[in-house]
Amino acid sequence: MDLVTLQGWLDNASFGVLFATMLVYWGCVAFPTAPYVQTVGSTGMAIANLSIAALLGARWIDAGYFPLSNLYESLFFIAWGITAVHFIAESMSRSRLVGAFTAPTAMAITAFAALSLPDAMQHAEPLVPALKSNWLMMHVSVMLLSYACLMVGALLAIAFLIVTWGQTVELRGSSVGTGAYRDAKYRLRRNGAAVTLPVAPASLAPSGGTAVLPTTAPSVTASSTSGAVTLSPQRLTLADTLDNISYRIIGLGFPLLTVGIIAGAVWANEAWGSYWSWDPKETWALITWLVFAAYLHARITKGWQGRRPALLAASGFAVVWICYLGVNLLGKGLHSYGWFL
Amino acid sequence: MGFSISVVLMPSKSPSAAPASSPHPNPHPPTPAPAKGTRLSRVGLGLRHYLKRELLPLLADLRLAIALLLAIALFSTLGTVIEQGESLAFYQSNYPADPALFGFLSWRVILLIGLDHVYRTWWFLALLILFGASLTTCTFKRQIPALRWFSRTWNFYTTPRQFEKFALSAEFADRSLESVVPLLEKRRYRVFQRDNLLYAHKGLVGRIAPVVVHASMLLILVGAIIGSMTGFFAQEMVPSGETFRVQNVFDAGPWAERQIPKDWSVHVNRFWIDYTPEGGIDQFYSDLSVLDDQGAEVKRKTIHVNEPLRYKGVTLYQADWAIAAIRIHLNNSPVLQLPMAQINAGGSGRLWGTWIPTKPDLSEGVSVIAKDLQGTVIIYDQQGQIAGTLRQGMGADVNGVQLGLDELVGSTGLQIKADPGIPLVYAGFGLLMLSVMLSYFSHSQVWGLVEGDTLFMGGKTNRAQVAFEREMVAMFDQLV
Repeated sequence: MDLVTLQGWLDNASFGVLFATMLVYWGCVAFPTAPYVQTVGSTGMAIANLSIAALLGARWIDAGYFPLSNLYESLFFIAWGITAVHFIAESMSRSRLVGAFTAPTAMAITAFAALSLPDAMQHAEPLVPALKSNWLMMHVSVMLLSYACLMVGALLAIAFLIVTWGQTVELRGSSVGTGAYRDAKYRLRRNGAAVTLPVAPASLAPSGGTAVLPTTAPSVTASSTSGAVTLSPQRLTLADTLDNISYRIIGLGFPLLTVGIIAGAVWANEAWGSYWSWDPKETWALITWLVFAAYLHARITKGWQGRRPALLAASGFAVVWICYLGVNLLGKGLHSYGWFL
Repeated sequence: MGFSISVVLMPSKSPSAAPASSPHPNPHPPTPAPAKGTRLSRVGLGLRHYLKRELLPLLADLRLAIALLLAIALFSTLGTVIEQGESLAFYQSNYPADPALFGFLSWRVILLIGLDHVYRTWWFLALLILFGASLTTCTFKRQIPALRWFSRTWNFYTTPRQFEKFALSAEFADRSLESVVPLLEKRRYRVFQRDNLLYAHKGLVGRIAPVVVHASMLLILVGAIIGSMTGFFAQEMVPSGETFRVQNVFDAGPWAERQIPKDWSVHVNRFWIDYTPEGGIDQFYSDLSVLDDQGAEVKRKTIHVNEPLRYKGVTLYQADWAIAAIRIHLNNSPVLQLPMAQINAGGSGRLWGTWIPTKPDLSEGVSVIAKDLQGTVIIYDQQGQIAGTLRQGMGADVNGVQLGLDELVGSTGLQIKADPGIPLVYAGFGLLMLSVMLSYFSHSQVWGLVEGDTLFMGGKTNRAQVAFEREMVAMFDQLV
């Protein structure tokens, strides 16, 4: 089997696998008690990740340069990035909701690249002179990885907004204890004063006087919480977790975006003498950077935690797409890959 | 202006009774108004008062910073939607006054508020300056003072009440601090202990790095300003075999004069294009020699896109190309060189053409069109009909005359610039990349207190809440 046939086979396979994975994850959310479903979903994601990696590897061998020169290749690279970041987000949050959002996104991207992109745009073309540089790999791969991170982070923010729909959210401070109860042998509290736990099922309440200190408790916490304390450790809620993992993933994408933009600026300065020329793609990368910088700062603004930063992050999803694809529709500037300088 | 804003470096919910949320508790007590004194000094004092009590807190306000970030983002989009730097006629034909786009966006409006050059308008630059001011104020007024608080090693908490406010806290009967220390050290915490008190932290770099992020952005801004004040841009289109001095400066800062080279010139030994077998452009090359005052070669380099030539702070980039001239002969004439001019091809690629007389009185001739330097030209007769093609080194019979094509002479388009701000900008780039990555680290702090025979533990982190919770719960589980 030659490399070209292999590529044609792999791109359809990755689309098919991602489609199945999406259905599995959705099933996983619909039937939260079903066993092994999340494992099946993760396996599907891993297979998709590997087949896209194999596809890009085959093209690398085929064309002789890192395959990031046209839309088809960059779409597959970004889909690969999303599946990779999916694993980071899933292992951080241990939530099956992650796949329910990342799988359809990755599926849609591979579908667009493999099925609706015209054949002429799928072929590897020789690089135009402006792109013949080692900077290409550095700049473009880092940019696309940052898009993948920011997209997954924004998706988690959207998930957070859906989960908290119609609720007044007060993160970290408040606690609505939906987390798992464990067999606690010590007293753990979250913001003493604000604990308003639903009554723990009696069966799960710790049995009497193990190593705990119910006897000393009143002397310590008599202040305001003596009635409401629980002896069970209270975990972050699903909303808390989604919010924080969204923040961490965006926190991963933001440095990548910074490095990618700087690599592009240095390349531009080395290649044609200007590190910033307000080219549309450049400008949109800056806009993306500014929007996520605003998000990061909104999170540490007192009284703005919760939905407001999440709305910013969710809107960042659209901004990343405009930056990645929308600008090319304008057909202007250095990043249309068509013209010399 | 008592905005209660918590900044990166400030704990939003400090369990301590100390005024941690304001490391600067009112640093500027109200200045008593001078009973006597000149009017001038009173104005001066009033100004200082205004600066310290009104302006600086406003500039350091995080909400202003967020508003500025989003405003710059919003206004930046304008320049990507509306074409920049086009001619008046372009805007008149694309944005007619009647019917105006969206009912108001006519070419008059565009020119009035400068939407044809958004990034150079006074209001956009003012926005950037305001952003720089906010950045500076935040860095010096908030981040650096707050850093002092976090670099202390004696942030002990002494009463159980303080542990109640923690996001994560626990109490254990019959446990000592000594049982906690190895758990913390295994997780790479730095542990400080005094009597019955314990403080441990890790990831302090996550607190310092954001300060460096802001400082390096200031460095980039300063470098950019220096560059725009003292740098210049020039473009030269030079035929193969000619010597030029940098003259066609199209953009220079007010103090750029010293940068423009006067005591050296550049000779273009040769310009050529490599083509791929399919006829596409592979690469553009210019073989350049730098000549001193006496015309002696001091440096020579073949440049191409992505590989410029640098000399005395000035950089020459391969940026463009054109066809300068055609070298032909008629019958047995010596080789003649005729200049070629670019023809308006209506946007479908670039074409160059010239007219070659075929009679001594110039009453007849042919037009010659070339589109690249691959060595083929197309001949058109007086009536505008194609009369054939001509390859380099070959001849063709036109109007009874033997026309031979010797060579197409290319000219190289060079972008020439000097930017003395580059070292600062690059230093800022390097620091920014490093510090923005280090900002990912989460600063985790853990406190311990033994009172009676009860161990109190509590902790918090500023970024990785989920991971920190897991870490704390794992430690608590081990303590039991």
